[in-house]
Amino acid sequence: MINAGLLLGVLGVPLLAAVASGLARRDTTRYALVIPSSLIAFGLALTLIARVLSGGPVSALGNWLYLDDLNSIVLLVVMFVSTLAGAYSIAYFRSSAQEHVLRPGELRKYFALFHLFTLTMVLVTVSGNLALLWTAVTATTFASAPLVDFYGSREPLEAAWKFLILAVAGELIALFGFLLLYAAGITALGRSYNFSIPVLGAAGAHLSPTLAGLGFLLVLVGFGTKAGLAPMHTWLPDAHSQAPAPVCAMLSGAELNCAMLAIVRVLSLATPSQGAGGGGLHAALLAFGLVSMTVGVVFLISQRNFKRLLAYSSVEQMGLIAAGFGLGAPLAVVGALLQMMTHSLAKTLMFFNAGNLLLRFRSTTIADVRAVVKAAPATAVLVILGALAIAGAPPFGLFVSEFAIVSGALRQADWGAGALIAALLLVGFVALVAPFSRMTFGDGRPSEPQAREELGIAVLAPGFVLLAGVLMLGFWIPGPLHSLLLGASQVVSK
Amino acid sequence: MLPEVILAALILLVSFQFIVTRRLGAAVFAYAVQSWLLGGLAIALFADSGLIELLLFGLLIIVIKGVIIPRFLGYRTAAILAGHRETSYYVRFPTALLIGAGLTLLGFLAATRIPFPRQLLPESVLGIALAVFLLGLFTTTARRDAILQVVGLFAAENGLLLVGLVVAPSLSLLIEFAIVLDILIAVLVVGFLVARMHQEVASTDTSELTRLRG
Repeated sequence: MINAGLLLGVLGVPLLAAVASGLARRDTTRYALVIPSSLIAFGLALTLIARVLSGGPVSALGNWLYLDDLNSIVLLVVMFVSTLAGAYSIAYFRSSAQEHVLRPGELRKYFALFHLFTLTMVLVTVSGNLALLWTAVTATTFASAPLVDFYGSREPLEAAWKFLILAVAGELIALFGFLLLYAAGITALGRSYNFSIPVLGAAGAHLSPTLAGLGFLLVLVGFGTKAGLAPMHTWLPDAHSQAPAPVCAMLSGAELNCAMLAIVRVLSLATPSQGAGGGGLHAALLAFGLVSMTVGVVFLISQRNFKRLLAYSSVEQMGLIAAGFGLGAPLAVVGALLQMMTHSLAKTLMFFNAGNLLLRFRSTTIADVRAVVKAAPATAVLVILGALAIAGAPPFGLFVSEFAIVSGALRQADWGAGALIAALLLVGFVALVAPFSRMTFGDGRPSEPQAREELGIAVLAPGFVLLAGVLMLGFWIPGPLHSLLLGASQVVSK
Repeated sequence: MLPEVILAALILLVSFQFIVTRRLGAAVFAYAVQSWLLGGLAIALFADSGLIELLLFGLLIIVIKGVIIPRFLGYRTAAILAGHRETSYYVRFPTALLIGAGLTLLGFLAATRIPFPRQLLPESVLGIALAVFLLGLFTTTARRDAILQVVGLFAAENGLLLVGLVVAPSLSLLIEFAIVLDILIAVLVVGFLVARMHQEVASTDTSELTRLRG
C-alpha cells in the first residue's frame, strides 16, 4: 500500500504541477511552483529508492508499477536533471527577457510541457507493465517535441518535425518488438498473461528464444532511434541544439537515458532464453554502441556551433553507454550505469553553460565566443571545468566510469572493442576540449570588445551544483549508490 | 477464416494508395478506409473466437482511427487539403510502385521466418501485416509533404496492429495504448506543428525545411 502510494505520488506531483502551470493566471505563480514541486517529487523518489535498497524491488497495482535497482538509477538521474533544469529555466528566462521578449502564454505552454515531460520520464522509470513502458517512452516524444519548437522560428520547427517523425517511426518499430516479446511468452505463460517485468523475468529461460531475440533487436533499433544511436541519430543534433538550453539539458541528460533504460530492460528479459552461447544480443548492442561512438567522434571534429558539438558528444556518450552494456561483463556494466549518471550531470552542466554563453555573447557559434575568462570569469570556470569533465579528464566522474568500461572490455579479453573505445575517447577528448578552451582563453576580437560583465548568480548556481556532483563521483561513490550500481549490474550482466 | 483473409488482402491493396496518390485528401480517405477494414477484421475475428477484447478493439479502431482522426486531419487542415496536391516528391511514381512491390515481397518472406505460436490467423496474414507496416514506413520516407508523412506513420501502425492480431490476439492492452496515443499524435502534429509549418513556409512541404545540416 505504502509502495503504491509512493509510486503514484512520484507520478502525481509532476502531473499536478503541469495542471497548475497550465491553469495559473500569472507567470510568477508558475515560477514559484517549479522548485517546490521538483523537490517534493525528488523526496518521494528518494524514499522509494531507500525502500528498494532495504527490501528489494518494489511493485504495485498488479505489476503495473515497478521499481528495482536498475530503474532507480535512471529515476535518480531524471529527478536530479529535471530539478536543476527547472531552477535554471526560471533564471534563464528572466535573464533572456531583454533579447527574447516572451509572448503572452509562452511560459504557460513551456512550464506545463516541462512538468509533463518530467512526468513521462518518471513514468518510464516506474513502469512495470511493458505495454506501459512502451507508452511512456512514446509519450516522452510528444511532451518534448513542442518544447524543441519553443523559439518558434524555422530551424527549431524543422528540428522538432524531424525529431517527431523519426522518433515515432522508431517507436513503431519498438512496438513490433514488444509484440514479439509478448508472443515469446505465450508458450510458457499462456495466451493471456501479465505482460510485466517480474513475470517475464521469472519466466526467463522458458521464453521462445527466436521471438525474444528478434523482439529485442527490434526494440534496439526502434528505441535506439530515441536513444541517439547511430545510424538512426540524425534527428538528435538538430533537436538537441535548437531547443532552449534547459530543454537541451533535459533531452540529452535525461530523455536519452530513458530510452536506453527500456533497451537494457528488454535485453535483460530476452537474454536468459538465448541459452549458453547467448551473447548474440549483447554483441548487437555493442556493435551499435561502437558505431555510434565512431560517428559521434567524427562529427565532433567538424562542428562550428557549440550546441551541435554538445549534441554530437551525446551521440558518442550514448554509444559508449550502449557499448558498456553490450560488453556485458559486470565491471563494464557498472561502468555503463555510472556513465549514465556522470554523463547526465556533465552534459546538463554543459548545456547550462551553452545557455549562459548564449546569454552573454548572443551566439552559439564557436568563433563568435572568445576570451570568456576576461569577459565573465565565473562563467569561464564552469565552461572549462565542465568541458574537461565531459571529455573524461581525471578527477571527474566520467574518467572513473569510462575507465571501468575500458577495463571491463580488457578483462574479458575483448581487446578490439577496448582499444577502439579508448582510442575514440582520446580523439573525442581533444575534439571537445580544444574548442571550449579556445572560447575560454582565446583572444577577444578587436572589432567587438567585451566589457567585463558577470552573469547573475541564479543562472550560474545550478552549474556549480552539477560541477560539485560530477567531481564528487570522481572521488567518492556514496554507499547507497554503490549498492544500487551493484544491484542493477546483476540485472543486466550476461 | 476466409473473410478475415480477404479483409487483410484489401488492407494491403489500400496501402498502395498511399504510395501512388498525389492528393492529400485521397491519402487521408484511404487511411480511413484501411482503418474500417482493420476494425472489421477484428470484429470478424471476434465472431469466430468469442474473445470479447477483439470486439472492443475493433470498435475502438473504427471510431478513433476510422472516424475521429481522419475527421480531425481533414478539419484542421481543410485549407491546406482543399484540392491540394503534393508538388514535389523524392521518388517517382513507377519507382515507388516497384519499391512497394519489393517491400510486399519482403514482408511475406519475413513472415515465413518468424516462428510465432499459431493463434487465430494464418501466416499469410502476418505477411500482409508486415507488408503494410513496411509500405507505411516507406510512405513516410518517400514523401515530402508533412501530412502524407504522418499518414504513412499511421498506416504503418495499422500494419502493426494487424501483426498484433496475428501473433498475440489477447494482447489488446498494448494495442489500445497505441490507439490512444494516435489521438495525441493527431492533436499534436496536425493541430500544432502542421499549423506552424503552414505559417512558417506557407505550405506543408517538408523539403522547405532544410536549413539544419552537418
